Amino acid sequence: MGETITPELVMNFASAFGTFLNSQKVLLGRDTRISGPMLHSAVTSALLATGCDVLDLGICPTPVLQYMVKRLKAKGSISMSAGHNDSNWNALTFINKEGTYLNEYQGEEILDIYHLGKFKKVPSDRLGKIKPQRDYLDIYFKSLAQFLDSETIKKANFKVVIDPCNGGGAGIVDLFCQYLNCELVAVNNEPSGYFPHDPEPRPRNAKEVASITKITKADIGFLLNSDVSRASIVTEDGETLSEEYTFPLVTNYYLKKKPGIVISNHCTSRMIEDAARYFGCHVVKTKVGQSYSIQSMIDEGAIMAGEGSGGVAIKEFQPAFDAFLTMGMILEIMAQKKKKISEIVKQLPRYHIVKEKIYCPPVKAHSIVNELKKLYSRQELKLLDGIKVEKEDGWIHIRASATEPMIRIISESQSREKALERLEKASNFISQLV
Amino acid sequence: MGDSLTPQLLAGFAQAFGSYLGRGKVIVGQDARISGTMVKNAIYSGILSVGCQPVDVGICPIPSILILTKERRAIGGIAVTASHNPKDWNGLKFINGKGLFLNHSQIEEFLDIYHQGEFSLVKVEKYKSLLSEKNPTDLHLKKLLSYLNVDLIRRKKFKVAADCYNGAGAVLMPQFLKALGCQMILINTTLDGAFAHHPEPVPENISKLSRIIKEKNVDIGFVQDADADRLAIVNEKGEPIGEELTLALAVKYILNKKPGPVVTNLSTTQAIDDIAGEHNAPVFRTKIGEINVVEEIINRKAVIGGEGNGGVIFPEIHPCRDSFTAIGLTLEYMASSGKSISQLQREIPKYYMIKDKIDGTSEQAYPMLNELKKKYSGKEQISTLDGLKINFRDAWIHIRPSNTESIIRIVAEAKSRDGAEMLLKKFKKEILKILKWK
Repeated sequence: MGETITPELVMNFASAFGTFLNSQKVLLGRDTRISGPMLHSAVTSALLATGCDVLDLGICPTPVLQYMVKRLKAKGSISMSAGHNDSNWNALTFINKEGTYLNEYQGEEILDIYHLGKFKKVPSDRLGKIKPQRDYLDIYFKSLAQFLDSETIKKANFKVVIDPCNGGGAGIVDLFCQYLNCELVAVNNEPSGYFPHDPEPRPRNAKEVASITKITKADIGFLLNSDVSRASIVTEDGETLSEEYTFPLVTNYYLKKKPGIVISNHCTSRMIEDAARYFGCHVVKTKVGQSYSIQSMIDEGAIMAGEGSGGVAIKEFQPAFDAFLTMGMILEIMAQKKKKISEIVKQLPRYHIVKEKIYCPPVKAHSIVNELKKLYSRQELKLLDGIKVEKEDGWIHIRASATEPMIRIISESQSREKALERLEKASNFISQLV
Repeated sequence: MGDSLTPQLLAGFAQAFGSYLGRGKVIVGQDARISGTMVKNAIYSGILSVGCQPVDVGICPIPSILILTKERRAIGGIAVTASHNPKDWNGLKFINGKGLFLNHSQIEEFLDIYHQGEFSLVKVEKYKSLLSEKNPTDLHLKKLLSYLNVDLIRRKKFKVAADCYNGAGAVLMPQFLKALGCQMILINTTLDGAFAHHPEPVPENISKLSRIIKEKNVDIGFVQDADADRLAIVNEKGEPIGEELTLALAVKYILNKKPGPVVTNLSTTQAIDDIAGEHNAPVFRTKIGEINVVEEIINRKAVIGGEGNGGVIFPEIHPCRDSFTAIGLTLEYMASSGKSISQLQREIPKYYMIKDKIDGTSEQAYPMLNELKKKYSGKEQISTLDGLKINFRDAWIHIRPSNTESIIRIVAEAKSRDGAEMLLKKFKKEILKILKWK
């Protein structure tokens, strides 16, 4: 939702969700976006009117919210955050009682209720109540610390730079570092909702973190998105790693400890397949998006899931992309191996991945994808989620974004030139059609 | 409004109100009704979406909300309250930047915006944050204490019992009575939205307070309504003195101090005219409705005014009904006169008032009122400002169609109970005859 956001629209969705849950406990959390208070009050009022009690976590990272859904035995949750989108956007994300995004069927049921507009309405003595919550951050970080090898991490006395982009992680990364005995150098750590750069963890947004990591001689730098589901890494010498490295780094380490099925998608680096092959594990690919990824992790009995965008989930901890968990795992790798992050990265097979997004009105997206099929008709095509062309040395993946009027192109190859050449070809072709 | 209140509807009203006001702070308060939280959140979202900044004052007496709206230079306010209506009802009262409720034409204007859906939605980056006011009754308390002769009242060490009706008055009552040096026994001060009893302060509804007053030698008892704008008084014998007398006492005391014009509505006791007559002070009567009385008080530069339902309006503190002002003036009257509340009660000219209603739409009511008007004009002194009021010597009857329900309200007052009953009976018969004939 962009500028068209109105209280009525927000309320209708929340009323539909409240009707779907049928007067149960709902957890509420938001990031720091300026529209947060408006959404929060609209959602609160709509939920109370359907008889749902609201357990309010206020400004809260989405993975913490997802974790607390089960702990507080809530029947669902609404997270108000637009992840990596710019500060004027916002969205409602519906979470079920397992702490995962609604699956397709649940989502459709809510849309049905929304379109019918028949919302549950309780008499005033059965209206929901607001129940403010405390201690939830401690509960979350305690169990995260238990899941990690925190003794080893603590002993390493890491110095860590984190940029939560004034988003949902602002002020909370301090607690993360306290629990793991890390010295925090925080950048953009005010929960103001004014994003100093796009809240997307990727190298071009990591300039501040990179220079500060180098100057302060920190061990590692992290960049988070606004709902703290994804992270990208900056090495101790200030190199801004592509967000594509986050998932393979964790996979490489975790599969060795605990082999099993890994969930990835078609536009994620081949580093994942390489890692899985090395440990004799299987990779299942899904459509792009956290909900597909997590649903497959559960359905396929996988042990972890992730995306090239920097989102990683480990089922044993919780079925959600979680940047606190991701940062914790990376620190654990460094602590156990007693190696610098730059050294650990060097051990990964080197691929070059280049990305571009092109504005495209949704009405045109379908015909453009059809034209592309013709363009690549003589190649090996995969059509599960957009178009993917596999090559010996890499691949190119083109798809229409589900959330923005954009076509995304990702190209990966062992050779940077080849990756760029394929990207440019596709990009020029699409630009002409748009 | 009862069950028809949806969050979507409420947000729409708030958007329309914000669009009507412009940009700035909007004070939002509530009484203790359970639905207050749902309603308030819907309102915040509507106000935020049109670029205004809600200031939450929580559960707060209506007069405190009005005073705060003016003093904080807010552009307006919304009070979430259904006043004396049942606990599962709720409603909105809209306040302008002067701390006054919107009058009839202002409401029309703002409803036009609502119905046309012309909301001045702003871009997200222009959204304001949600503020909250920690001590929203402080300004109100300060105004009360700076007007009242606090030392005089404190010296009396009054023993006061108050029934806050589990309403918004409970948030200010202890501080206020303490500042006046009163010993206090407070009941029904839980803000859980379950009102303590039927709102009408008649003996069967206030038996607990009456018992306390009798058992504990209390000087005076007070009963507030849900939003603390109206007040009923109980004397030291545990008997309610009648809500009409709340205003009569305040008028008598203020005119003793400072004679000047008095404003009240057509259905308020004639005792007001008798009291004002002693001071040669003019009495101006208005249509029913608080804002009508308030506007006339301002126009006439009245020293005091109000409604016979226990609504005392004292513009020197703030031109609105205020139970705390009524308490303060009553205690000060007792202190300065050295008399008990029942003595002061006896000094007010005695009248009996009966209220009744019959079924009838306003379409039926107006031709009937015309008939009556024809019959009585010339013979008696009449007013057609709001329905029909016929003034006899020492008695009157007021007949008017309700604004909200299909009923015709009839109020009769006379020097004796029999007189009032006879008057009512006579007119009911006449009205029914005309209605049938029509």
